[in-house]
Amino acid sequence: MTTTTYEAQAPTTTPEVGGMGHSRKRVEDARFIRGAGHYIDDINLPGQLWLDIVRSPYAHARIKSIDASEALKVPGVAAVITGKDLEGYGLHWMPTLAGDKQMVLPVDTVLYQSQEVAAVIATSRYAAADGVAAVLVDYEPLPVVVDPYKALEPGAPVLRPDRGEDLQTNRIWHWESGDRARTDAALAGSAMVVKEHIYLPRIHVASIETCGCVADWDAVNGHLTLHMTSQAPHVIRTVVAIIAAGVGLPIPEHQIRVKTHDIGGGFGGKVPAYPGYVLAVAASFLTGKPVKWIEDRSENLQADSFARDYHIDAELGVSADGRITAVKATTIADHGAFDAQAAPLKFHAGLFNVITGSYDYPDAFVEVDGVYTNKPPGGVAYRCSFRVTEAVHAIERLVDIAAHERGEDPAEFRLRNFIPADKFPYTTPTGWEYDSGNYAAALRKAMDMIGYEDLRKEQAEKRARGELMGIGICSFTEIVGAGPSHDFDIVGLKMNDGAELRVHPTGKALLRIGSQTQGQGHETTYAQIVAEELGIPAADVKVEYGDTDTAPYGLGTYGSRSTPVSGAATAVASRKVREKARAIAAHLLEANVDDLEWTNGKFSVKGSPDRAKTIQDIAFAAYTNYPAGMEMGLEAVDYYDPPNFTYPFGSYICVVDIDKATGVVKIRRFVAVDDCGNIINPMIVDGQIHGGLAMGLAPAMLEEIPYDANGNNLAGTFMDYLLPTAVETPAWETGKTITPSPHHPLGAKGVGESATVGAPPAIANAVVDALWHLGVRHIDIPLTPQKIWAILHEKGIA
Amino acid sequence: MEFSGAVDIPAPRDEVFAFVTDPNRVGACGPGVESIEVIDPTHFRAKAKVGVGFIQARFVVDLEIAEQKPPDMAIIKAHGQAPGSAVDALGRMNLVDGPEAGSTTMLWAAEVSISGMIASVGARLVEGTANKMIGQTFDCIRAAIVAER
Repeated sequence: MTTTTYEAQAPTTTPEVGGMGHSRKRVEDARFIRGAGHYIDDINLPGQLWLDIVRSPYAHARIKSIDASEALKVPGVAAVITGKDLEGYGLHWMPTLAGDKQMVLPVDTVLYQSQEVAAVIATSRYAAADGVAAVLVDYEPLPVVVDPYKALEPGAPVLRPDRGEDLQTNRIWHWESGDRARTDAALAGSAMVVKEHIYLPRIHVASIETCGCVADWDAVNGHLTLHMTSQAPHVIRTVVAIIAAGVGLPIPEHQIRVKTHDIGGGFGGKVPAYPGYVLAVAASFLTGKPVKWIEDRSENLQADSFARDYHIDAELGVSADGRITAVKATTIADHGAFDAQAAPLKFHAGLFNVITGSYDYPDAFVEVDGVYTNKPPGGVAYRCSFRVTEAVHAIERLVDIAAHERGEDPAEFRLRNFIPADKFPYTTPTGWEYDSGNYAAALRKAMDMIGYEDLRKEQAEKRARGELMGIGICSFTEIVGAGPSHDFDIVGLKMNDGAELRVHPTGKALLRIGSQTQGQGHETTYAQIVAEELGIPAADVKVEYGDTDTAPYGLGTYGSRSTPVSGAATAVASRKVREKARAIAAHLLEANVDDLEWTNGKFSVKGSPDRAKTIQDIAFAAYTNYPAGMEMGLEAVDYYDPPNFTYPFGSYICVVDIDKATGVVKIRRFVAVDDCGNIINPMIVDGQIHGGLAMGLAPAMLEEIPYDANGNNLAGTFMDYLLPTAVETPAWETGKTITPSPHHPLGAKGVGESATVGAPPAIANAVVDALWHLGVRHIDIPLTPQKIWAILHEKGIA
Repeated sequence: MEFSGAVDIPAPRDEVFAFVTDPNRVGACGPGVESIEVIDPTHFRAKAKVGVGFIQARFVVDLEIAEQKPPDMAIIKAHGQAPGSAVDALGRMNLVDGPEAGSTTMLWAAEVSISGMIASVGARLVEGTANKMIGQTFDCIRAAIVAER
């Protein structure tokens, strides 16, 4: 059962036109539900070779020798590539999006278990795998550092001696935000200070389609086509060109075409460049044949970039009358052996300083140290933009602890401390300008939907009977839509996105966008934006993306940035088209442009609505009967530079029952009230929230990638890395409030990540709420039955 | 992982010592051992097929008798590799008089470190599997020495 209560902004277009606010069915589903999607492993080119990777069993070891002689005897094996081979081309290292570098293949030292050590190229996937098994690598194990705190101790082995002389430490960077002195003073002067150590474990996006590519170097024409499953194909093209230029390979950017097809899940894991991509390109370059590389599941779970691994020491001050005074957080970020996160260059810890949350107080200070350990690269997203999940988890846990310690209802405490609706735009102590919000309205709506007062009464009765029931709230503020060009770039590339709209003579249109869909439904919703702005029916708009030869440049889809940036570009490009259409309409109607008005997809002469030209009439005229001196055609391009981020928000309430004998947590109800501003397609927004809630439930209850002392990943298959299924997933109840963004052309904010950010603290707060009277004040996620049972056992209950 | 134990063998100490330091004899007791190559009196190479859960791997293991005081003590180092996995172990054996006259008690301890795919994919099964394999090995050693007598 799913309940949706929803007061949408009323659509201004007819259902036939299908502009904003219509729950238009997803056009991409026609191919997905028929099994006719086209994923990376569906690409097979004539003469194609397969690449498979030899990976290190050790988390830290010196490579004494690599003997490929037996592998080369395996039938079908064409070549074995080692780090020494790549060193000859200067290709053994590659730059990361975070400004660090990463080994493509090691020459002498491996830094994490499952790191790429050699590549085998063969005529079939099986031969390549047999070749991998026959490569003999002799290792000398070295001391392993898996704990970032130990990595910072004096005498810890320096894992990255390749860095400069002044950087011979495992501390990658130090980053801080806010005012330390003022915050310390505010905390010292607070009636109560709540402190907690919060660990958000390493997790993996585990998209069902693993990473992969087909590299196709055409030596005759000097052209590289790279078929990929990438969330950011344009950035990949530029990075490949920069790497090639850096090592003198003749692959300039205009000769590189990155083609991304359907993507079987991205969630942040398909933003970075992985060594496999570089190896496939190098192998195609060396062999002159297309080379395919597809990871298997365990490789994906062990070697790719990971999220979280944040160790947060957070403090929150509260005055005697229950007002928050300040927040301080000191954080260790375990980034593994290479800093390969896709964070904007100036923001080492992403947007973690949004930790100030939804509350009104003057002082905050946040500091983060990035640390190298013998783990695969960390710090990459998990359906969350730039460390917002970590920040929201910390503040929402602290707020709940503070309310409980005051003996106060957590809802009441939040309502007192929210930034009031009339204080927007609101500048936070760490410098963000929240564009719009009405936090109390969202929380009150969630409380009404779930019947909060009755639940608290029920909880009191149950507690008297010894039953364990908890109610958890999370009132989050997201920061999405990276980002304004004055501060935000990835490897120097400003985080703007392009949209290119062409209206054909018969009034149909082609929209090309720089963002990349991975299931968000861009083919559906972007057409609705054009429909909204131009009155061209959404069904008449074809949306293209993912081919860097044809699509305008864009930084890709992650951090809920598509609607805030690329969606805005689409709206602005449509408005540019509309302005040209106005001039053509004036010509056709023999009227002054200033005398025309735009309603329902038509320009009409003010005061005589019958004298009108539809957008279709105008499109035809743009090619057949346009004014003298005007260029033919009806098209426009826009690159959108957002003036600010957008700040979606919401309040989630979760009700749990805990089995005293087993420690199993059952989510009885979960109400999610989201406010993502104006809504393009309500059905798709709800779909995003449902998916996001499931992906928020996952790390809250199930997912964790632990490492043993030797640096072995202990969750290398889906037997140990538990994804939620329909069995574990409760029936979500969703609701909306609508507070438009004042600066976005459509008033929209983006929603892809809200639920992943908001769900874990709601669940964690509910579980702690159920156990608070037993003296439990914090439990790190995932809230597994073992963990809860151990607590109940210790308290003499289980 | 650390393992240790004691085994009583109804044979005198020098016989037990001779058996367990002879790769050709003791090698046959290693579960899954397919071949033993003697490189020199203290260095051997074994090939063994090991299964942990649903994973099977063929390990090449280099063994070295790092220290020995016949017939009382021996220390053995092992370094084995299979595609994607590795094992490193240090074993120590002390032979003392057993409870019965003419018998020997073997006190043994091993520190085993497993890396790579087997550790990652079979983590929950590794310790149980190792225990089982160690048990099988000592049962076999005792039976073989008894049979030889």
